[in-house]
Amino acid sequence: MNAVMAIAGATFGEAIRKRILIVILLIALLIILISPAFGPFAGGRGARTMIISFGFGVIQLAGTFIAIIMCTTMIPTEIERRTIYTILSKPVQRYQFVLGKFFGAIGTLGFMYLMMGIVFLIATRFAIGEFDARIIPGLIMFFFQSSLLAAVVLFFSTFVSPLVNYFLSGGVFLLGNLLSSFLETIQRNPEVTPLTRIPVQILTLILPNFSNFNVQNPIINPEQVITDPVAYTVQTLAYALVYMTMLLVLSMLIFNQREM
Amino acid sequence: MSDIAIKTVNLTKRYSGLWSKHPVDAVKNLNLEVYRGEIFGFLGPNGAGKTTTIKILLGIIYPTEGEAYVLGKPAGDPKNHYKISYLPENPYFYDYMTGREILTFYARLFGIPEPERSKRVEELLDRVGLSRAADQPLRTYSKGMLQRIGLAQCLINDPELLILDEPTAGLDPIAHIDIRDLILELRNQGKTLFISSHQLSDVERVCDRVAILNKGMLVRLGKIEELLAGGHVEIIADKVSDNVVEPIRQLGGKVSLHDGRLIVQQPDDGSVDRVIDIVRAAGGHIISVKPYRRTLEDLFVETIQGGKSV
Repeated sequence: MNAVMAIAGATFGEAIRKRILIVILLIALLIILISPAFGPFAGGRGARTMIISFGFGVIQLAGTFIAIIMCTTMIPTEIERRTIYTILSKPVQRYQFVLGKFFGAIGTLGFMYLMMGIVFLIATRFAIGEFDARIIPGLIMFFFQSSLLAAVVLFFSTFVSPLVNYFLSGGVFLLGNLLSSFLETIQRNPEVTPLTRIPVQILTLILPNFSNFNVQNPIINPEQVITDPVAYTVQTLAYALVYMTMLLVLSMLIFNQREM
Repeated sequence: MSDIAIKTVNLTKRYSGLWSKHPVDAVKNLNLEVYRGEIFGFLGPNGAGKTTTIKILLGIIYPTEGEAYVLGKPAGDPKNHYKISYLPENPYFYDYMTGREILTFYARLFGIPEPERSKRVEELLDRVGLSRAADQPLRTYSKGMLQRIGLAQCLINDPELLILDEPTAGLDPIAHIDIRDLILELRNQGKTLFISSHQLSDVERVCDRVAILNKGMLVRLGKIEELLAGGHVEIIADKVSDNVVEPIRQLGGKVSLHDGRLIVQQPDDGSVDRVIDIVRAAGGHIISVKPYRRTLEDLFVETIQGGKSV
């Protein structure tokens, strides 16, 4: 565990100094800070809904970019710079290296979400005059969404190049956000043939469902009602944990066979 | 405990691309034994298979055929890594960390607890002469300082075996000498050093035995003094008469005589004294006797251009 934590610490230390990630974080913080200014444009939905959903949107987008950019190069850079050789020549097993990298990524995401969350809470407090109770669970859901995405990116990074990984992970994230609603739509449509339905069903089953984490949907669309928000949150987070564990195990198995 | 630190048996590493019809043997049937306590030079031109072999020894890549053992256990056994260490060529470390932090990081990988960890880090910083730069980020270090911190991370676990890839490449003369002295000091402490290097003068000075690889195959292996045997001695004498030429030629020397000045290139095989005796007996006056030792560079060039395998 010592080795895993040492690698996680080094990964975190390096990630929070990456200029591109700092720039994304600063832009996100700036937009969150000025998000109350968009309240008056809400029209019929109300300023509160507009501010919260807009803030969540910014946080989700920033979290997605941070997860993809950070994790795409995490392992390939270590191989390219040969730092991995000095690490793996120590009594460090490859699975420990992958775990350390993942925990470092999660730590970085946690730090970024903490920064964005604090600014978001302060901005909404001043804009609507009170703390909205939906913000903290919402932040947790998006943090888990980004963490799951980080696990997907890390998984791909064990066997594809960073450039391919950008497209693959971006594609998986997009499909993972759209597929479940798409499946619902085609299942309601009797004209859709099994030839179309079955591949969508398989893809929906295999790919991680990122749409479950999108907590701004019920905020924006009042017709979407979650009867038991606590159970929904727990189930969604448990889903993320199970999926992340599976991806990590696969990453470790592939990385164990990888030649560098 | 076996006296063999590294052993490879018919070690082969073959690379075959997904679409390539012609696989390439980066290392082919390599049989090698490195003894405990020696400094072993692992030489070869670029692409000879040195780094591939090192990666196999460290378990970073896997052999296609054959076996590799390090300190009596199969290569790559993580338990073995408590006793070995590695310095890659042109090492890169997390450059936001300071010298002290990077050594602490590597000590944590070994699970060395406090206060032992801090003590060892401070000792090593002192040993490689970086105590004053210990709190500077590594991005401000010169190449020589990075090489020293690289060697310090190699010593964090007090290893039995050190595998060093180009430890003196690109260093200024002072840093060069420092690292060379440190290598000799480590040998005196009983450690085994396996050094891959293109700095042939360094290898010649510090190594006990060398192996030369070419195109993945072992082409030379032996003790430095044995491999470099076969130099010659140049004898210059004055006032020498013609009648000495033939007896010296019979001893295998290359002779030139002009206006009583004799120049002999005599093989260094014990016949030099007899040549001197012949010259003196003929009334000649010895001006100089100069040995010309064969260098590792001579041997290397001859071996690589000759291209035969052992």
